[in-house]
Amino acid sequence: MALIEIRDLVKKFDRQVVLDGINLDVVEGEVKVVMGTSGCGKSTLLRCINRLVEPSSGTIHFRGQDITGHGVDVRALRQSIGFVFQQFALYRHLTVLDNVTLALRKLRGMSRAEAEEKALHELARLDMADHRDKYPAQTSGGQKQRAALARALAMDPAVVVLDEPTSALDPVMSREVAQLIDRLHRENVTMLCVTHDLLLAGSIADRVTFLDKGVIRAEDTIAHLSKHHPDEQVRAFFGCEENAR
Amino acid sequence: MNFLDIIVLLTQGVGYTVMVTLACSATGLLVGLVAAGMRRLAWFGVIPLLDGFTYVFRGIPVLVLLFLVYFGLPGIGIKVPPLLAMMLSLGLIAGAYLAEVFRGALDSVDAGEILAAQAMGMTRLQILAYIEFPQMLRFAVPGMVNEFTTVLKYSPFAYTVGIPEITKQAMTLASTTLRGIEVYLAVGVLYFAIYRILLIGVQWLERRYRVPGIGLA
Repeated sequence: MALIEIRDLVKKFDRQVVLDGINLDVVEGEVKVVMGTSGCGKSTLLRCINRLVEPSSGTIHFRGQDITGHGVDVRALRQSIGFVFQQFALYRHLTVLDNVTLALRKLRGMSRAEAEEKALHELARLDMADHRDKYPAQTSGGQKQRAALARALAMDPAVVVLDEPTSALDPVMSREVAQLIDRLHRENVTMLCVTHDLLLAGSIADRVTFLDKGVIRAEDTIAHLSKHHPDEQVRAFFGCEENAR
Repeated sequence: MNFLDIIVLLTQGVGYTVMVTLACSATGLLVGLVAAGMRRLAWFGVIPLLDGFTYVFRGIPVLVLLFLVYFGLPGIGIKVPPLLAMMLSLGLIAGAYLAEVFRGALDSVDAGEILAAQAMGMTRLQILAYIEFPQMLRFAVPGMVNEFTTVLKYSPFAYTVGIPEITKQAMTLASTTLRGIEVYLAVGVLYFAIYRILLIGVQWLERRYRVPGIGLA
């Protein structure tokens, strides 16, 4: 059974259909990559999974339980899904260490010492222990991304969701993030990543899912999608991206 | 009697002025925080009430509200002590202004950080307490200093309800010595000294809690 099973998911904002019948599985231990142009519904899809956005219809099963219905403990669900945002969203008034410990203390009820021990373990795992006393404004984009990832991983989530993890980074830092995701994958961390960065997608997953105007149009290897997919628009997206490389 | 003697005589009232200023500022701070927090939480039906509160209390003169509380309420059997009357008039008016200062400062908190906290599973109240308020208070320092200074400058109204603060002492001294210019000049010097001490305290707090990337440079 897949960790996340999405069936016929629809999301409308007023009359605008943003997601139109999405079917997607995320299996434990895999890195699932969803690609698409800006505004295709990628971020909305992620936000439906942890109920930051309420789906209009369809189902999402997380560990076998339908999480779209009433009576779901949404806060517990969110604690099981680590979310890393496009602009990192680190808390500006807290140091890197406090960014990681806050949820452990306030949501998991850990003492400060316990939370710091756990946080330092995660920061060390991502080579961020030396930057623990810095504030977000004192760190680089890549360091912010790693701090955000450490914050998500510290909660021991079942899956880490990455929303455009390289869009705010330069190519060198993007490669670092790709290597980091690859390393976490080898450590058996389940990840769902949405991106329009083909370089990143190619580095972290063999197959990608292509989302266009709220519809999944294709799922295959990047090489196949760019050269052999019957839909010209799909070929154009991956071809253009590949040419850009 | 020289200028220094006048200042020494007037310092008897300094303690009352400081007490009135601190009590009314604390009331304003508490009311402002509660009002801004409730507005942010947007609990059912609370926004029109808060709008009404700020509309009324920002529009009514301090002296009118003070007289209403101190001289009006006893008419319906509620006797209010002088300091409490100041807190319920000047303090509440300061609270209405601070609520607006805090509202603006809360709007400066990055929406992405609030979303990240929601995505982690925090409640709205936790987000307010651990993310929004700590940042908001840093953004709001200039507005808070303005409001506390206004409270200090309105504190002489306390003499009208019998609190012997600096202005009350000055009126007594001026009427007995007939040296109004020196006496009221000395009052100005004392108010300026209190203002400077207040400012030094706020600047110390600001430095103590300063975070790179937030608030004043």
